[in-house]
Amino acid sequence: MKDQFVVPARLKRTSFVLMGIGLLTLLIGLFAFHGEHGSTRFWAGLLQNSTFFLLIVLASTFFIGATTLAHGGWQIGFRRVPEAISMAVPYLGAVLFVILMLIVFLEKEHIYHWINAHHVAEDPILSWKSAFLNKGMFTGFAAVTIGAWILFTIKLRRMSIEEDGWDLSPATGRRIIWRNTVMCGGFIVIYALSVGSTTPWLWLMSIDAHWYSTMYSWYTFASTWVSGLALITLFVVYLKRNGYLPMVNEEHLHDLGKFCFAFSIFWTYLWFSQYMLIWYANMPEEIVYFKPRVWGEWRPIFFLNLLINFITPLLYLMKRDTKRNYSSMVFISIVIIAGHWMDFWQMVGPGTYKELVFPWYELGLGVGFVGLIILLVANQLTKAALVPKNHPYLKESIVHHT
Amino acid sequence: MHLKYESTLREPLVDGEKNYHQVTEDIISPIEAKPGKLWYVGFFISLLLLAFGAFSVTWEVYYGTGVWNLNKTIGWGWDITNFVWWVGIGHAGTLISAILLLFRQGWRTGVNRAAEAMTIFAVMCAGQFPIFHMGRVWMAFFVLPYPNTRGPLWVNFNSPLLWDVFAISTYFTVSLLFWYSGLIPDFATVRDRAKTKLRKLLYGIASFGWTGSTKHWQRHEALSLVLAGLSTPLVLSVHTIVSFDFATSVIPGWHTTIFPPYFVAGAIFSGFAMVQTLLIIVRKVLNLEEYITMGHMEAMNKVIVLTGSVVGCAYLTELFMAWYAAVPYEFDTFYKFRAAGPLGWSYWIMMTCNVITPQVFWFRKMRRNVAVTFVMSIIVNIGMWFERFVIICTSLYRDYLPSSWGYYRPSWPEVGFYMGTFGLFFTCFFLFAKYFPVIAVAEIKSILKTSGENYKRGMEQYEGQSAEQFEKGLHHDDHHHDTHGAVAHAHN
Repeated sequence: MKDQFVVPARLKRTSFVLMGIGLLTLLIGLFAFHGEHGSTRFWAGLLQNSTFFLLIVLASTFFIGATTLAHGGWQIGFRRVPEAISMAVPYLGAVLFVILMLIVFLEKEHIYHWINAHHVAEDPILSWKSAFLNKGMFTGFAAVTIGAWILFTIKLRRMSIEEDGWDLSPATGRRIIWRNTVMCGGFIVIYALSVGSTTPWLWLMSIDAHWYSTMYSWYTFASTWVSGLALITLFVVYLKRNGYLPMVNEEHLHDLGKFCFAFSIFWTYLWFSQYMLIWYANMPEEIVYFKPRVWGEWRPIFFLNLLINFITPLLYLMKRDTKRNYSSMVFISIVIIAGHWMDFWQMVGPGTYKELVFPWYELGLGVGFVGLIILLVANQLTKAALVPKNHPYLKESIVHHT
Repeated sequence: MHLKYESTLREPLVDGEKNYHQVTEDIISPIEAKPGKLWYVGFFISLLLLAFGAFSVTWEVYYGTGVWNLNKTIGWGWDITNFVWWVGIGHAGTLISAILLLFRQGWRTGVNRAAEAMTIFAVMCAGQFPIFHMGRVWMAFFVLPYPNTRGPLWVNFNSPLLWDVFAISTYFTVSLLFWYSGLIPDFATVRDRAKTKLRKLLYGIASFGWTGSTKHWQRHEALSLVLAGLSTPLVLSVHTIVSFDFATSVIPGWHTTIFPPYFVAGAIFSGFAMVQTLLIIVRKVLNLEEYITMGHMEAMNKVIVLTGSVVGCAYLTELFMAWYAAVPYEFDTFYKFRAAGPLGWSYWIMMTCNVITPQVFWFRKMRRNVAVTFVMSIIVNIGMWFERFVIICTSLYRDYLPSSWGYYRPSWPEVGFYMGTFGLFFTCFFLFAKYFPVIAVAEIKSILKTSGENYKRGMEQYEGQSAEQFEKGLHHDDHHHDTHGAVAHAHN
């Protein structure tokens, strides 16, 4: 059984080329965007990409957590894939933390208006919010949440690799289930209280500092979760195509496809609930968010967002065959990731650099992040066998029928 | 691959030594016996409650809605609170029959029939409230859009209250069809075993001439799949639209974007609690502990702690945003009229019952304790009733004009109406428990050979095998039963 991944030279080269493009874009951006207003786009692009890519690799930790707590068996055959993806969290977490700190301590007020003390003093709403929107709170939350995600991710990965040295006895099996359940329970609580609430408020919602929506964090979660599922699918197919993961077949792919289908609809449900309620009530303090997005320059993106992230997966994944076909799943996974990247773009852009421009800079950075993720994940995949051979639910995954 | 295998670490879904015949015996025989004394006592009490409810409603219709204590600011009180509460309870049935089916959760087979019955009865109870709130109830059909001679006067398609009419009637229809189509093979089983002519005739009619032929099963499976597909969006849509009743308005405390998913989570939360309340009694009275096991109850308690925590997150998010929004009216509603003020007590009952107490289910010992589960299931439904009371009444009782501010307590016809719906619900449920198979016999049989205790013993031989050995065994098996395998593939 081909159980030990070796990074092909081509993959490595690809990742370096992609990272090169990203770095080059960053350098060009540094020179192209300067001055008080100019630099806004430089920082906004970094913020958009680093939050998006961190949250979609973190979705892999969430995948492990949720499936473990639900006592899922089907995913064990490829569990090492989300494990490897999740190990990008420490690196991307560090990158994002540095970017956030630079934005806050270099006082990039066109990203976050609440950073500027003068602004806050003159603005009664911002002064009201200053107990929450301030540098200390922002730094503290970022450090604690990113730190906790990293700790749990590493711990779960370590436990899984350690279990390879154990045995197949029922007593061991019970121990594996128990300690993973406990650890995942802890992680899910942290995840719900960060990604499901405070994190998106601070990092993204506070860009439009006057505006508020209770749905915002759940919406952001749905966006990154479905993209994270698509990312897992891409790596599973890649390994399968290269002759690895012999126990994974179209049954497992089919289920990943169902998840992508279901959570695309879930994302749309949250999108609709947030938008419709604000549109219906038509209150000035709320519609201010959708003004530039629906009635301003960003209008085409607003509709494109729905077309790519709802209509496309809905129609494309409705059929059984597309969910069981490796090529079609690769296609739709890329569409989903690109679509939600665009969703993040329209969450950040209108509140920072305002005008709709061709996002060459943002895309270039995105390409760089993709390269970094490929490099990190490929490297992690080599660090352990591709099948967690002592997991008590592995055989259920082998006989899995969707 | 047609090997029936499941990890032996999962506890069996059917305990004891069972074969297909024994399953039929265990579940069907209570229908054939005379009900016990307790059943008659319970049924009689339910009928009394129903009668009192009918009296209270008649009183209200005769004298008008003025007999309720609704006042200037509280236009919606106990009536709509009860409406939302009952609709919410209904959600567990749909979730179990549709979403847990999609997630391939085998344990749903032990509880789906009773949960779906509960859904239907709960929706019937819920429907009473908006209808009788209309006052001139003989004009209730005005809510239906049809070409008419009143102008023609059409219903207001922009109103979420009208969407509710559509959502709930669709929900009721689909749930009823789903429930009934599942019942058909089981009714046929009762018919085939019937000793008396009358029973044979009635169950024969109810089973639509089911013979159990392959063609029948095929059509049955196809229908179930279509209905499951239709029910899945309904799980979300019904309570979403109920939440729109509030959230589309501009009333502080009602207008917030998180309402739709949070209402759905709360509905599932209360629905599962009601399933627990009912099934703990049913499994005891009908001796079905081997089919509704501790494992089933533990699984449902996990859903309860999950949805309770989701609801908790939503409460805290709302509370935070009421401050963060910097809108003084939102702030006052949450911090002065809800968490404090004359009706503040209801907010703290809600918080305690829905968010704090369900956290005991993080512990396995508590999840598997029947007494704790029973008490918790009632606490949760008290909490969820107060959630609706808090949302409706504490947002309304202090409006923009302090001279209208008042307190609200229900009058006797309001309370009587609510008690009456309990009567309706339990009358239906007692009849169901007596005349219907409370567990889906055919579905239990479909999981018996994978998850039955005696069958699982045969799987122990595989547990020591490595993945390669196990896989090799499978392929070996495939060769021997080639035609079999092909059929299995074509079917799936």
